[in-house]
Amino acid sequence: MSKPVLRGLLITAFFAVTAALLIPIHVPRPAFIPGFAPPPDMWPRTVAIAGAVLGLLVLAAALLRRAPPEPVDHDGSSPLRMAMRLAGVVAAFAAFLALVPVAGFVVAGMALTLAMILMTGERGRHVWIALLAIGGPVALAIFFHSALGTQFPQGLFKPFGF
Amino acid sequence: MIHDILTAIQAVATIQNLLIMAAGIWGGVIVGAIPGMTGTMAVTLALPFTFYMDPVPSILLLVALYKGSTYGGSVSAILIKTPGTASAACTALDGYPLARQGKAGKALNMALYSSVIGDFVSNLSLIFFAAPLAMLALKIGPPEFFMLMLFALTTVAGVSGNSLLLGLVSAAFGLLLATVGEDMYGSFRFAFTPDMQAGLAIAPVLIGLFALPELIKLIVLRADTREEAATLGAQHVTRAEFMGSLRSILKGSAIGSVLGAIPGIGPSAAAFFSYGEAQRSSRNGENFGNGELEGIAASESANNGACGATMIPLLALGVPGDVITGVMLGAFMIQGLTPGPMLFQTNLHEIYMLLIGMLVSSVLLFFAGKATMRMFQHVSHIPQTLLTPLVLLLCLFGIYAISSSMFDVAVLLVMGLVGFAMFLLNIPTAPFLIAFILGPTLEENMRRAIAISRGDPMVLVSTPITWGFAALIVFVIAITIRREIRKNNDRKALAS
Repeated sequence: MSKPVLRGLLITAFFAVTAALLIPIHVPRPAFIPGFAPPPDMWPRTVAIAGAVLGLLVLAAALLRRAPPEPVDHDGSSPLRMAMRLAGVVAAFAAFLALVPVAGFVVAGMALTLAMILMTGERGRHVWIALLAIGGPVALAIFFHSALGTQFPQGLFKPFGF
Repeated sequence: MIHDILTAIQAVATIQNLLIMAAGIWGGVIVGAIPGMTGTMAVTLALPFTFYMDPVPSILLLVALYKGSTYGGSVSAILIKTPGTASAACTALDGYPLARQGKAGKALNMALYSSVIGDFVSNLSLIFFAAPLAMLALKIGPPEFFMLMLFALTTVAGVSGNSLLLGLVSAAFGLLLATVGEDMYGSFRFAFTPDMQAGLAIAPVLIGLFALPELIKLIVLRADTREEAATLGAQHVTRAEFMGSLRSILKGSAIGSVLGAIPGIGPSAAAFFSYGEAQRSSRNGENFGNGELEGIAASESANNGACGATMIPLLALGVPGDVITGVMLGAFMIQGLTPGPMLFQTNLHEIYMLLIGMLVSSVLLFFAGKATMRMFQHVSHIPQTLLTPLVLLLCLFGIYAISSSMFDVAVLLVMGLVGFAMFLLNIPTAPFLIAFILGPTLEENMRRAIAISRGDPMVLVSTPITWGFAALIVFVIAITIRREIRKNNDRKALAS
């Protein structure tokens, strides 16, 4: 399946599911609507239906005319390998969110930064990596705390101020 | 009148006032350049300090912070593709590619010159057109507002990316996302979790959509790992480059001044609108999005051009045009001044001082911008593999600092993934963002118009102004389709 066709299908499916399934369940109509005011689901439904129609047009355009190639620059890795990297990013983001209540924002930030640096393929510059991953979150926490009085969530290392 | 003006100049030109304005501009530029810190935040934080100041210096401090932060947003937009403010999002579209080409210095200089000119023109418009523009803005009711915003959306959708259809799809995504949360009559929409009842904040959506995909691209595609980070490179904007962008700068300044004067529109919409117009009318329109100086000029002149103009409805009618001028309204009240038509009669001396101080702050913006450029130039020497995780770190802490909400941090990360998916599918992000920002106002005006007309949707095209906007929408769609057909034909001719 070519990229333009896949794109058209995804767009149509997203807006169709929103219009047909999500709006009836997650946009409740109040029992009383003042005057002639349109109900709350009117606007999202209009946008979702318009989006679905646009998706069908994108799909039709992809099927009817030969679209130019849409290359994406990469390092030559296989699609599976790139998908694994993306899964790694998603897992790191999820782990960060799960780690904050346990280890605190600063420590979770350190772990996420270190993970991200290593995932970019950076293996040299050890001092800079350590400074950025450990010193960066600490410096930012101190800055925002002193400038705005922000209280970042603390966790296991609460006695140390993190 | 001349005597009044000379007295006001004398009153403004004190060391104390100049230092206050310089500090405000400088502080604003730095705040604007830090992702997650906004002009609203700077103005709000400075408000308590103004309690102990005289009326005019206190307002000048807040105005200087506002102007400085609006320009400051372009610094991070250009150097690390992280718009410090929503109004700098368009600047990132061309500024970052220029930075990657080793022309960050040029991009920053063009942003500065355009901002200063836009700001100056805006101040002049405030001086000369405050009253007439405010009266015009008053005539714009909900149907006209709706059509104006629809026109702005269509323009942005038409000029972003290579396809009008995909631009409109992107705008539809943004409009839908903007409906999350409580609507104007208290119903909760798509509130899957209690946090979503308040809706999605602009900052995490904006920063997630623009800044994080760069990091994800670097990790997943690894196309740039060998490439060094952007260098400041050529610093100066040549005379030819400046003259080539002058038309867009002046047009952007005018667009900013007019749109800024309409309550609810603000610098972000002005920047997108001006960018779209410059791309449509420029000889280099094809190069927009790939590193075109004129794109930066259009965006920056309009967003700073709107700054002074947002003071027009505030001073002339007592109506704040956006959140920042809302805070300023509070500052006026605290100082015992009530903005509105009477202010021009009862406090003319203060008004003259304020207007002259705003003109002076345009000049100060130039010097603060130059100094900040040197300060931030070291950013350009950091390798991508360290810079992009640093950007993530800044975003995480900045977003948490705004609202102390882990939900906003989660939105930031999710929007980063959404931005990456949109990049893979070639769906432009600019229409998404502008639709997300304008969405609530667009819907509110549409629903108000229909409610006022007792349920008749035809009210949206019932006045000469709405007909004018409808005609403009059709015109924009027609020329965009024509441009796409021409491009297709050219490609076919090249292939054969």
